[in-house]
Amino acid sequence: MTDVELVEVSDFLRGEPPFADLPANTLASLPAKLKVQYFRRGSVIIAAGKDNSSLYVVRSGAVELIDTSGEFMDRVEVGGTFGSHSLLSGTPSAYTATALEDTLALVMSGATFHELNAGHPSFEEFFDMQRASRMRGAVASLHTSAMGGAILKTRVREILTRPAVTAPKTATVREAATIMSTEGVSSLLIVEGSEIVGIITDRDLRSRVLAVGTDPSAPVKTIMTRNPVIASADALAFEVLMEMLARNIHHLPVMFDGEPAGIVTTTDLMRLEQANPVFLVGDIAKQRDVAGVAAVSSRLATIVEALVSQDASADDISRVVTAVGDAVERRLIGIAEEKLGPPPVPYCWVSLGSRARQEQALAADQDNAIILSDEAGPEHAAYFAALADEVTTALVECGYPLCPGEIMASNPRWRVPLSQWRREFSTWITEPVPDAILRASIFFDMRPIYGEFKLFSEVQRHILKLTPEARLFLAHLAKRAAENEPPIGFFRGFVLQKAGDHKDTLDIKRGGIGSVVEIARVLALSIGSREVNTQARITAAVAAGALSAERGEDLKDALEFISYVRLRHQAAKVRAGRPTDNFVSPNALSSFERRNLREAFSIVRSAQSSLGSRYPSSYIS
Amino acid sequence: MFFGKKSPDDVRAKALRSVAPSPLRDYLAAALPDPRTPAEELQLLAVDIETTGLHPRNDHVLSVGFVPVDGLAIDLSGARRFVINAGVDVGQSAAIHGLTDDQIASGSRLDDVVPEILAALRGRVLLAHYTDIEERFISAACERLYGSRMPVARVDTLELHRRLIVGWGESPMRLALRLWSARSRYGLPVYKAHEALVDALACAELYLAQVAEMNQHGPVTFKRLQS
Repeated sequence: MTDVELVEVSDFLRGEPPFADLPANTLASLPAKLKVQYFRRGSVIIAAGKDNSSLYVVRSGAVELIDTSGEFMDRVEVGGTFGSHSLLSGTPSAYTATALEDTLALVMSGATFHELNAGHPSFEEFFDMQRASRMRGAVASLHTSAMGGAILKTRVREILTRPAVTAPKTATVREAATIMSTEGVSSLLIVEGSEIVGIITDRDLRSRVLAVGTDPSAPVKTIMTRNPVIASADALAFEVLMEMLARNIHHLPVMFDGEPAGIVTTTDLMRLEQANPVFLVGDIAKQRDVAGVAAVSSRLATIVEALVSQDASADDISRVVTAVGDAVERRLIGIAEEKLGPPPVPYCWVSLGSRARQEQALAADQDNAIILSDEAGPEHAAYFAALADEVTTALVECGYPLCPGEIMASNPRWRVPLSQWRREFSTWITEPVPDAILRASIFFDMRPIYGEFKLFSEVQRHILKLTPEARLFLAHLAKRAAENEPPIGFFRGFVLQKAGDHKDTLDIKRGGIGSVVEIARVLALSIGSREVNTQARITAAVAAGALSAERGEDLKDALEFISYVRLRHQAAKVRAGRPTDNFVSPNALSSFERRNLREAFSIVRSAQSSLGSRYPSSYIS
Repeated sequence: MFFGKKSPDDVRAKALRSVAPSPLRDYLAAALPDPRTPAEELQLLAVDIETTGLHPRNDHVLSVGFVPVDGLAIDLSGARRFVINAGVDVGQSAAIHGLTDDQIASGSRLDDVVPEILAALRGRVLLAHYTDIEERFISAACERLYGSRMPVARVDTLELHRRLIVGWGESPMRLALRLWSARSRYGLPVYKAHEALVDALACAELYLAQVAEMNQHGPVTFKRLQS
């Protein structure tokens, strides 16, 4: 009996993507096509710029990939592969592969590799993705589903049907009406140079001209809506639609590159899709009391579940959750004001933390604060105390639990005048105390929700003036960003929760999403960027040169992937009628997801360590 | 040394003159590697034999596994495993080799397998973990089948391990010389099965690790490796 099947080797390969998906007979005969090589720690296996004709599978040990500019690319552990890049592209290796530990590798010839590629689409796909850049490929493949979510994926620019039709500010009502009639449009932008100063619609001609007997030779500026809300051509269609529904407007001018680019209408947007979240936001705005808002907003969980199954991206879904949260909060403040009467002095209600960043997940606590105008005196305290209590209590009723750290407008400490906010931030930034920083970091993610937005802008301007120079403060934030290690071990196995209710699960918030958020925050504050959304902060950091473009892309992809896994996990909980959390069992993930999650975590870890070297902890202690 | 002070290749050349045409003669016709051959070019065959005991006279070969090593790479395409029907009960050694009587009953005859070993070993160095067993059993079979013993050039990973460990200033504990503990020194993968081909592969991997370690202290030639 002759037996050439190397069961030990084929068993090993079977446990690793991309081999796991190969048919059993292909897998059984694969070992006989391989060679085995051993590399002493420190030895170079493939040199950057040199030709490579093999695919390597790490059998034991670990290998590090460093690109031509000396940047760390990846650490390949047992079961991982390298060398596919040059095999697929036919170009010299883009990286140097060095044995980090004594390493035994299975070596596949280029011929065998191409044979497997040609015969097995899943095999080819795996390496294609790995080449296209590890995480980017993963994210893309998860969202290739064509179904659903059009409104979530479409940018305003893509639905503009015609260029902007404009009239100068100096035109008469009649001239404006003539333009609209000859161009066949229902709305017209009124411009001064390239600046949009107003808008008129068919309805304005009806109600502000004909009905009231305005002279058609009067200047158009007398009947136009001044300084209309303007959308950016890059905004997502659904964001714009929600804005319009919330403000009860039907036409929205769009700017692109500083020029009027056109007008979107609610009809344009509705045509895109009968998207549930949009109607939800509209419905929330119509509610008369807290119970009504609570009833309507309870639909959110189901909508998220539907969006996940439609394969909308985590970023988009978080924006929906955020938009709904904003709508709920705005409506509840409105209801409170209707009950308590108009505010005695101007104030701005701000959101903090994940909602401020537009990254809210389900089951998020409420985090909010009030910036009072400096006109506020002791006599106004009672009004705002009552307002804050009304709103925070109502938020609980709508499914937003109280913040256990009391970071809420109902806490008098976080309901203070502008000048006091300025002092508070000055202390945090210029005299940082580690504990205080830890608690204060959430305040650096702030977004105005309701009221006098100018108050918020003042606070923001103050913060961003101070942070870029505040080395010590930034070093503290950087240290904190590196503290929560991703839940993977040095050898890339997942590190599971050891005990408690979440035993044997991965905490994907703490060392995953949370760490990316913290890294992005430090970078944004260090360059004085106004962005609060994490993806936007990373983009800004790249633009300012605080982060390499490649690491920026990697971090965004890692965030997107981890968030996607979290959302899917949460959607499954909702489906099962259970409370949502951030603890994912690795057994619930496919081998593809496990692999990419490991890669995402190692991107986070590598970004943490590079941030650590930018702000060495010796700076602090 | 088994063949006195003569080099293995001298012994081979001498034996060639007195052997009738046979698989053994074909094996003997190919020169064995020169002692100056660098490890990067040295061709070996890692062999493992599972037997019922240690003595070729009384004991039987139960299975044979081998895999070629070309320089610093193991060529899995040349890997082979044979279960031998020796016409005996496995008895107690089944526990060690994991071979059942049924598997053995459907196995090959050793007489048919020896030519396969000789063909694979042609021009190559015999590589094993404690080469004595493999060499004695194959050689005894050759003597019985072809009337002549089988001269070999050999590299013994057990012997290399002993040299490396002593060289590192540790006491050569007997336990540490077992194949599996020697492998753990280099972080080589853990194999569950304990059968001839897996052991041959394990031995070949250990050899590569040992050469890599020796390479740090100057170029490694066959002369430095052989037993």
